[in-house]
Amino acid sequence: MARGEALGLTLLLVVGLAVVGLGADTLTIYTAFDADQAQVYIEAFEASHPEIDVEWVRLSSGEVYTRLLAEASNPQASLWFGGSNTSHIAAAKAGLLAPYKESLAWQYIAPQFRDPNGLWIGLYVGYIGFVSNTEFLTEAGVDAPTSWQDLLKPEFTGEITIAYAFASGTAYTTLAGMLTAIGSSEPGFDDDDKVYVAAFNEQVGQYNSSGSAAATMVGLGEFGVGCVFSHDIVKKAISKGYPVVMTFPEEGTSYEIGGMALIKDGPQPELAKIFYDWAMSKEAQDLYKDFYRLPLNPEAELAEGSVRATDVNVLPVDLVWYGDNKDTMLDQWSEITGEY
Amino acid sequence: MKLDAYRRELGGEVRRLVRDPVLLGIVGVTFLLLAIFIVFPLIKVVQNSLWTRGAFEPRYFLEFFQKTYYWRPLVNSLIVGALVSLCGTLVAFIFAYGIARTDIPGKGIFRIIAMMPIVSPPFLIALAAILLLGNHGVITEALHLDWDIYGLSGLVLTETLAYFPIAFMILEGVLSKIDPSIEEAALDMGASKLRTFLTVTLPLAVPGIASAMLLVFIRSLEDFGNPMVIQGRFRVLTVAIYHAAVGRYNLPLGATLAIFMLLPTLMIFVVQKYYVARRSYVTVTGKPSGIGLKTTERRIKIPILVAMLLLTGGILLMYGVVLFGSFTKLWGYDNSLTLANYRYVFAVGGQYIWDTLKIALIATPIGGLLSIMIAYLVVRKRFVGRGAMEFTSMLNFAVPGVVVGIGYVLAFNTPPIQLTGTALIIILVFIFRRMPVGIRDGIAQLQQIDPAIEEASSSLGAGFFRTFTRVTLPLVAPAFLSGLVYIFVRCMTAISAVIFVVSAGWQLLTVALLYEVDQANLAAAAAYGYVIIGIVLSAIVLMRFVVGKLFKGNLTPLGGE
Repeated sequence: MARGEALGLTLLLVVGLAVVGLGADTLTIYTAFDADQAQVYIEAFEASHPEIDVEWVRLSSGEVYTRLLAEASNPQASLWFGGSNTSHIAAAKAGLLAPYKESLAWQYIAPQFRDPNGLWIGLYVGYIGFVSNTEFLTEAGVDAPTSWQDLLKPEFTGEITIAYAFASGTAYTTLAGMLTAIGSSEPGFDDDDKVYVAAFNEQVGQYNSSGSAAATMVGLGEFGVGCVFSHDIVKKAISKGYPVVMTFPEEGTSYEIGGMALIKDGPQPELAKIFYDWAMSKEAQDLYKDFYRLPLNPEAELAEGSVRATDVNVLPVDLVWYGDNKDTMLDQWSEITGEY
Repeated sequence: MKLDAYRRELGGEVRRLVRDPVLLGIVGVTFLLLAIFIVFPLIKVVQNSLWTRGAFEPRYFLEFFQKTYYWRPLVNSLIVGALVSLCGTLVAFIFAYGIARTDIPGKGIFRIIAMMPIVSPPFLIALAAILLLGNHGVITEALHLDWDIYGLSGLVLTETLAYFPIAFMILEGVLSKIDPSIEEAALDMGASKLRTFLTVTLPLAVPGIASAMLLVFIRSLEDFGNPMVIQGRFRVLTVAIYHAAVGRYNLPLGATLAIFMLLPTLMIFVVQKYYVARRSYVTVTGKPSGIGLKTTERRIKIPILVAMLLLTGGILLMYGVVLFGSFTKLWGYDNSLTLANYRYVFAVGGQYIWDTLKIALIATPIGGLLSIMIAYLVVRKRFVGRGAMEFTSMLNFAVPGVVVGIGYVLAFNTPPIQLTGTALIIILVFIFRRMPVGIRDGIAQLQQIDPAIEEASSSLGAGFFRTFTRVTLPLVAPAFLSGLVYIFVRCMTAISAVIFVVSAGWQLLTVALLYEVDQANLAAAAAYGYVIIGIVLSAIVLMRFVVGKLFKGNLTPLGGE
C-alpha cells in the first residue's frame, strides 16, 4: 500500500491501542501466594471487576518486605496480598503500610487476626506441619517425626529441607515455633534454643528460597523430611498423589496468619481498597477451598480434609513479638547457621 | 623533548575533534553514556561498601575476614572456578584437537554439540543434573548411586559443561592456526609424533590454553543460575550477594561482597588481556602456509573419538532428559506424557514471553549499533581519551553480572536517575552488559577493512557520519547482523544481572524459570527452558536466512561470520 496509507493506518492503530490501554485502570500488587494460586485469585477479581487491570509480581514474604524498604521513597505497588503476616508486622513497624479500618471485614474478624491499628488484616490461617516421604521412611527404618526433637534424629541428617528463614514466612514461622517449643517459651533465643537450632542446621540438606518447595521436594523424594504449612503439604504433595505422610509435633506447632495490607503512598490507593474488600468477601474466600487454606471469613466454605484448629496442638507463639523483632532474630539465626 | 612531542600530538587531536563537530558530539555522548551506565554503578557499589548511612564505616570489610560465613563463599567460588577451568579446558581441548587436528568423521555435528550450551539458559544444565543425578534422579535410581549432586560435584559438573564452549572456541582457533611448517620441520628432523606434539605443538598452544583457562575461570566465578539450583550447602559468592541484597536488603553487605567478587575477576581479566593475549605465538594472518597437519593415526584418533562421543552422549542426554521432563505430569513419580506444562507456561508465562521478547528486541539493535559505533571510533579515529573509552567499554567483561545488578539497584533506585520498575533499566542492563563482546567483534570486523576505502570517501568530501553509514556499515553488515543474533541470544538467556531489576510491570523468562526450579516444579521449569531454546533457535535460523538472502555469496571477503 502507499506510504501515506501505511502511515495513517499505523497512527490509527497506535491511537486505538492507547485508547484501549487508557480505558482500564491498573492496580499494581505484590503477592506472596504461589504464582498459580495468585493467578486464580487475581483472575477471579478481574472477572468480577472488569474495569480494573491487575499487574502483579510474585515474591516470597521476606522479599516483599525488602522490596518495600527499597522502594520506600517511591512505592511501585499499592497492595500486599498474602504471605506470612510476620513480614506484615515488620513492615508495619517500619512505617511502610497504610491503615484501613473502614473496611467491613475489620468488624467481623477476631482481634488476634488483625492489626490493632488497621495496618494489616488476616486472610487465612495455617499450621506448620512435617511432611515425610514414605519410601524414604521405610528405607531408613524410621517413623515420621512427631516432635521437634525427632527432627534431630541421626536418620534425618542431610535429609531435611526447609526454606531460608530470611526469605520465607514459612521458615520464619517454623523458627518461631522451634524457639517457643524448645527451652523456655519466652520469645527469643535462649541457650537451649541456640543448641537446638545449631543441631537442626546440621540436619538440613538444602535450604530453599520458597517455603512450599520443601513439600514438592519431599514428594519427589529428593529429601526425606520437610517443614511446611499444612495447606501446602496437602495441596502440593498429598493431593498430587506423592507418597508422603503429614504429621504434627506433639508439643504443639506454630501457625501463621496470611496477611494483606495497603502499601503506604502506593500509586493506586482507591483501587487497592476495592481489591482489599473483595479479598475478604465470601466470594473470594470460597476460593481457598481449592487450595486447602482455612479462610478467616466466617461464612466461607471449608475444604474436605482440611486440618482444623481442634486437630492440632498449637503453641503460644508471640507472633507480634516475632514480627517486631524479625531483623534481630534473623541476624542471630545467620550467626548460628552461617547462612545469610 | 618527548613531552613536547606528546603535547603537540594531544593538541593536534583536540583540534581535530573541534573541527569535526559531529565527531565531537558523538564522542561526547558516548563518554557520557559509558560514564553513567558503566562507571557510575561501580562507583555506587564501592561507595556503599565503605560508607554506611552517611558515615565512613567499612563495617563489613573488617567483619569479612573475621566471620567464616562471610569469606567461606569467596573461597568456595575460587575452588569451583579453578576446578571448572581445568576440567572445562580439558574437555574443550579434546573437542578442539579432534576437530582441528584429526580427520575423524562428523566434525560438523561435534561442533554443533560443542556450542549447544550457548543457546540455552546456563542453569538448564543444573536442572538436567538434578533430573539425572539428583537424589531421585534417573541415573541415580538405575545405578543405585550414593552420590550427592548438590554441592561441589554438582557445581563442577554443570559449570564445566556450561562453559567449555568458550574454551573450545579459543582452542579450535589456536590449534587450527598453528603454522604446520614448524611441525613438519620437527618431523623431518626425526622427532616422533608424540615428541613433536609435546615439544612443538603444545608449547605453541600454551597462550591459547592459558587464555581459555582464565576466561572459563571468570565465567565460573560469575555464574549465578547453576549455583542457585545446585549449590546445596556449598555456598558461592554470587548467591551470597543476591541473598544479601534481595533477601535481607543489606546493601552495604552486598556491596562489600561484590567488591570481593570483583577483585579476582578484574585481576584475571587484566592478566589475560595484557599478559597472556600479547604472547600469541600463532600466525594470525589467516593464511597458514599449507594445509594443517591432520593426525590419521588410529591410536590417537580412536581414544579422542571415543572421548568426544561419550561427552556428546552426556550433553545430549542432559538436553534430552529436560525435554522429556517438560512433557511429564509429575516428574519422577508419574511419567505419563502431557502438554499441561506447556499450557501452564503459555498461560501464566505468556506475558513474560512478550515482555522478554519486547525488551530483547529493543535492546539488541540499540546495543549492536552502539557497539559498532564505539568500535569504529576506537579503531579509526584518534581523539583525546580513546584509550579510556576502550578500557571502560571493555570493563564489563571483567565485572560479574551480580555486581552489575547490585550496582544498578544502588545507582538507579533514587533520584537523580530513578529507573527501578521500568523496562528501561532492564534494556540498559542488556545493552551495556553485552557491549564488550559487540565492541571486540566490531573491532575485529573493522580491522579487516582497508582504511583506504574510507579515506577515499572522506577525501571526496563526505563527513564522518556519511562515511560511516554509506561506506563502513554496508561493508561490515553480514558480520554485524550475525553479531546481533549473539546479543539477542544473550538477552534471552541472561539471569545474573537482570534478576535484580525485574519488577511488577516487567518479568523475564529466565527469572520465571528460576522461580519454578525454586518451587521444585521441575517439569514446568523444563517447559520454560525449551520455550527459551525454541525462541533462540528460531532467531538464529531466521537471521541466517535473512543474511543469506541479503548478502548472497558476499559473506567471505570480509572475514566471513
